Amino acid sequence: MPKCTINGKEIEVPQGTTVIEAFKMLGDDICHYCWHPGLSVAGVCRLCMVHIEGMPKLQIACNTEVRDGMVVTNQTDDVKDTVKWGLDFHLINHPLDCPICDQAGECGLQDQYMKFGKYDPEMAEPKVKKHKVVDLGPTVVLDSERCILCSRCVRFTEEVTETNELGIFNRGDRAEIGTVQGRPLDNNYSLNTVDICPVGALTSKDFRFRQRVWYLKDSESICPGCSTGCNVKVYFNEEGLWRVKPRYNAEVNGHWMCDEGRNTYKYVNAAHRLKKVKAGQSGDWSQEEVFPETMKLGEKFRAAAEKNPESIAVLVTGQYTNEEFKNFFEFVADELKVKNIFHWINNPEKFDDFDGLLLRGDKNPNTYGLKEEMKSRGGFKSLEDLQGKMSQFEWVLVLGPENQSQFPDLKEKVDLLSQAKSVIWLSACETPELDALRAPTHQIPMKTYIEKEGSFTNFKGLVQEFKRGTTVIEDALTLQEVVALLRGHELDYRNRPQPIGGTKKNHFTNVRGQL
Amino acid sequence: MSSLEVKLLSEHYDKPEFQGLEGYKKHGGYEVLVKALKMEPQKIIDEVKASGLRGRGGAGFPTGVKWGFLPNNDEPRYLLCNADEGEPGTFKDRVMMERAPHQLIEGMIISAFAVKSHKSYIYIRGEYDEPARILRKALDEAYEAGLLGKNILGSGFDHDMDLYRGAGAYICGEETGMISSLEGLKGQPKLKPPFPAIQGYLKKPTIVNNVETLAAVKYIIRDGADAYRKYGTEKSAGTKLFSISGNVVKPGTYEVPLGISLKDLIFDVCGGLKPGRKLKAVIPGGSSAPILTAEESLKVNMDYESLAQSGSMLGSGAVIVIDDSNDMVDLLDVTLHFYHHESCGQCTPCREGTGWISKITHSIKNGEGTTKDIDLIKNVAEHMMGKTICALSDAAAMPAISFVTKFRDEFEAYVNKGVERRGEDAHA
Amino acid sequence: MSKAFELSKEGAELVKKELTRYETKHSAIIPALYQVQKENGWVPPESIEYLAGLMGLPESHINEVFSFYTMFNKVPTGKLHVQVCTNISCSMNGGRELAKKLCERFNVKPGEVSKDGLVTISQVECLGSCDTAPMMQVNDRYIENLDFEKAVQALKEMGAQ
Repeated sequence: MPKCTINGKEIEVPQGTTVIEAFKMLGDDICHYCWHPGLSVAGVCRLCMVHIEGMPKLQIACNTEVRDGMVVTNQTDDVKDTVKWGLDFHLINHPLDCPICDQAGECGLQDQYMKFGKYDPEMAEPKVKKHKVVDLGPTVVLDSERCILCSRCVRFTEEVTETNELGIFNRGDRAEIGTVQGRPLDNNYSLNTVDICPVGALTSKDFRFRQRVWYLKDSESICPGCSTGCNVKVYFNEEGLWRVKPRYNAEVNGHWMCDEGRNTYKYVNAAHRLKKVKAGQSGDWSQEEVFPETMKLGEKFRAAAEKNPESIAVLVTGQYTNEEFKNFFEFVADELKVKNIFHWINNPEKFDDFDGLLLRGDKNPNTYGLKEEMKSRGGFKSLEDLQGKMSQFEWVLVLGPENQSQFPDLKEKVDLLSQAKSVIWLSACETPELDALRAPTHQIPMKTYIEKEGSFTNFKGLVQEFKRGTTVIEDALTLQEVVALLRGHELDYRNRPQPIGGTKKNHFTNVRGQL
Repeated sequence: MSSLEVKLLSEHYDKPEFQGLEGYKKHGGYEVLVKALKMEPQKIIDEVKASGLRGRGGAGFPTGVKWGFLPNNDEPRYLLCNADEGEPGTFKDRVMMERAPHQLIEGMIISAFAVKSHKSYIYIRGEYDEPARILRKALDEAYEAGLLGKNILGSGFDHDMDLYRGAGAYICGEETGMISSLEGLKGQPKLKPPFPAIQGYLKKPTIVNNVETLAAVKYIIRDGADAYRKYGTEKSAGTKLFSISGNVVKPGTYEVPLGISLKDLIFDVCGGLKPGRKLKAVIPGGSSAPILTAEESLKVNMDYESLAQSGSMLGSGAVIVIDDSNDMVDLLDVTLHFYHHESCGQCTPCREGTGWISKITHSIKNGEGTTKDIDLIKNVAEHMMGKTICALSDAAAMPAISFVTKFRDEFEAYVNKGVERRGEDAHA
Repeated sequence: MSKAFELSKEGAELVKKELTRYETKHSAIIPALYQVQKENGWVPPESIEYLAGLMGLPESHINEVFSFYTMFNKVPTGKLHVQVCTNISCSMNGGRELAKKLCERFNVKPGEVSKDGLVTISQVECLGSCDTAPMMQVNDRYIENLDFEKAVQALKEMGAQ
């Protein structure tokens, strides 16, 4: 393993490590735009310049492999001057429209300018005009004038998705990224191009103009969209969630996540959520207070189970945490001796699909954990057994999916359950399908992944813990809380988690009008 | 003909028959190939090394040393002939390809045999339609005569050669830009390392040599390294084809020994300046070479070392002679327009810098510049140098710096004229 | 919707042959674009999609190559594509004035097609014929050692009005 010295600090690195990677390992500052750890080396922004002892010219750190004994620094006047000018070359034709740019606040140009700016704009010539507000497809908008031609997005569609939608056309300072003849950038990973765009050239249609990033807080979490369990960052303020971005995990998702997974923030927001217990059937529902109603329900449920465990059926989706499952099955299977436990999966035909990158057909974050939990309890009964037998159950308890849109047979299940005597359906969201249930039903409002802590076990058995980010619906319950209430335990609801706001109150969104 | 000229490569350029295989053979064509195929490949490399031959395309890197960088194994390797002659002022390769296509092909087969390559390409710039047609015909003749293909002249050596036409991009004259272009991509230079000799065309070991370099190999093998060394200087051995244009009486391609004085080249070989004109400046190595003032020009010799010492370079041997009828601001404007137009756009300092200095120069020419702008050209250009993947950025920066430094008074005159005019406008 | 583009049968065959001629399919892009230009006079945008289909290569790669090189005409040109060199040696010998006068003589702006469809005059960078400055390239042919009268005469001989 070669040893080198970077800015006076010694470091030993694996063979093949580049100088820029060594800088990252040390946590030393090094300016760069085109280099990205998940893509090939382009070496075009020319900003990661370093001085290497014994070499007459400055070298780019991204294309230089660490050799034993190398002495590297980016603290010389020459390097600093080169970076300063290098940044200026990036800026001379840039529109500098930060006040109306969505990247402002998380822009590579702004960040570096604060550190290395020339602070003396000498460019007095007319700037190069390029295409603006280019509709690149269903998810992404391009502003070519902001683009610094780092080629990250092009390399992404070439190397990661291998879809090749993007290219850099023309040459010199007339070069522009784009698609051919307006064909859309339309793949399920397109929004990664927005993440890796170091400037405001590529922006997300979903996110642009909605929030200033400095008003948002973020929290590390796990995407609940499928069994891959991509590591993500969720961005929110007191109004709710605004976007999801991938977080690096070499073992799971690398640097990326799919566009489908990014949508998982939407159903979390208040507009889609169940806020109270809904009791009733077939479109005739009353809103009940969550705690007393669930406790009341618990008495009846327990009584029925104690009388005859066979009169209870439980339908489970792999959408809850390991901790929730453990707690739930200890109650239902071990204490109440319920045997009729069924596994509801989203789509049997596509359940084992895999797109070759990240997205799996199993749209549950914790199928693995659920199965593990049930192993010692004899596994699940076959769903087929339910057909035609529904009316023999007094109670059917459904651990419904958080993201119901991923369950194409939701209506089918609603029809099936409509034959039961009474139903308890745990659900984070409100949907017309559920409201059509014809059996006497209690819909209980549940917390979503961002509102609770715990762990999911992904498709290959990797247990991934996550923390609570914020609370959107205060009264919504975790599965542990449901279990406690069903058991008849009082909950201290004065100390329940409160919503977490942004760093500052965003007055702009509070006075936002409707178009 | 001036007595200073030598006719080594160009001996038969004046004979139309030299273009065809038959005529070429009449003058000893392919006899050196016969000799070379009987030699040990390493012996050929040693001979080329000993000859002191340096790349004639612009960089002047020793050819034999370059060949020596190839890995010593059986991995397939490619020989590429750089016929993307694009440096403004340069046309000597076109002359050779039109008049002596077989001379290039013979030189290439010998070189390929030396470096154990079984496939070569001549990458010719797209605009050279006529030379391409002539070369294509020559290649067909060579295949027909068993000089290319399997078992060349019964030697057991196989070699295929093809011609690839570029499509209009100066940057493809940079060897890795050329490789990218041949690979069917935009002609953008590649990061080095790895160098082409290790990973070039399709990531295989690749040697890229200029047309004139490869043709010279033939004469080195024919006459031996010592004979070749009789021409030129210790460090700049051999003869060189110079492309001479601009304000001389007899512009054209001339073969002279390296080390000839620029004064002799202009006033003896090229017949001097037009009557009544005075020498103002010379660009000695293609438009990217730093310009020399008249005074500097009259002192310098045309070899790699002398020119480097004078702060310029031999480059491709394109000498642009500038008399006192020219406006230096205008010429820099033309020159920078070219580099701005030709920057491939990969590296930011070049992509943005070439446009920037071109625009400033243009503003000054239009009378809109300030004294600060003159300094700015120099300052921007200095920050473009040595910061990019290839040398195009430097190629734009060097003329910019040398023009504004050496002819600053002309730039100032434009600025002052502009200030005056604006003053008058303001009062009108 | 742009209308579909197709090469002639022979042209398509030629492109397919080029696909196997080099070590990589991509190397056939430049020859394929030349073929389009030969048959069509210029390279229309819809031909990129056609070539992508014919060659089994991503459109973006073909478009990158097409847009990078200057010899592929991005717009239609006149029957005589007159490219006057205005780089340094030609400029020193009147190349720019020649281009300007030719534009006046044929009543066109640079890059524009004359009303009769016969002539397009544009300025280009160094064509490697500096000793014969000023010079121009008309379609594939170099015409050298020019003055205005000689240039007009040559163009007339080639069919310009």
